[in-house]
Amino acid sequence: MSCGKHHDVPCSEVLAEVFVFLDAECDEPRRHLIGEHLEECGPCLQQFGIEAQVKELISRKCGGDRAPDGLKQRVLAHLKSVVDAEADGR
Amino acid sequence: MAEETRAERDARFERDALPFLDQLYPAALRMTRNPADAEDLVQETFTKAYGAFHQFSEGTNLKAWLYRILTNAYINTYRKKQRQPQQNSVEQVEDWQLYAAEQHTSTGLRSAEMEALDRLPDSDVKEALQALPEDFRLAVYLADVEGFSYKEIADIMETPIGTVMSRLHRGRRGLQKMLASYAKDRGMVRSGSGGTPE
Repeated sequence: MSCGKHHDVPCSEVLAEVFVFLDAECDEPRRHLIGEHLEECGPCLQQFGIEAQVKELISRKCGGDRAPDGLKQRVLAHLKSVVDAEADGR
Repeated sequence: MAEETRAERDARFERDALPFLDQLYPAALRMTRNPADAEDLVQETFTKAYGAFHQFSEGTNLKAWLYRILTNAYINTYRKKQRQPQQNSVEQVEDWQLYAAEQHTSTGLRSAEMEALDRLPDSDVKEALQALPEDFRLAVYLADVEGFSYKEIADIMETPIGTVMSRLHRGRRGLQKMLASYAKDRGMVRSGSGGTPE
């Protein structure tokens, strides 16, 4: 997984930090260095692209389930019953 | 702390906390893996949140606070109820660790497979996520679906940030491996075009 060219930051280091980079958790100087590497290095850029796509795929496909229509009413009714039970206990 | 009447607090709870129900439900569904338990878990979360709402100070992260209650409720109630033996998950973790060690830093996925993954039905992707060991599944869900920061996930799961990073890394690698094999099983990737080695 290397393009064989010289980089200031080696490919192995860049690839090890792919998630930190994509999760926007690396500091600005580091982000800049990795960004420079990605501009020079096709294979690393391609790997980052795949990781970013998987992240996006999970985000798109795993979160959208709609809560059942009556759930909010059910929760509210339950809270009310808890409050009423508390009041009765006083 | 400023005085707040019970009615004011109730109104604030309904206005600020309750709208998160629509976001908490899919998270609960990924945790419990079935709709009936997910509904119960959401109800329990809001009951606990309501009981502790006077301790919640406005201006702090309400969403993360609710997710922390949800996660705790799941771990304390539903995991026990669902009787997933702890032993089992330890074995699974060793398996995943082994896998992560093999993979080092590379994803194992190639561009051709990525195109196939995009065409997988939603249910396959959900199933793959739900097949991950619990800690990995939660970390990946919180990061990728909810967009929480590492620090927030660490607070929600009550673990150090390093543990969050490792769970994310191993969870994502495991997920990718599963997705690649789904795509292959469905004949979306021709063998020899970059499937994971058996």
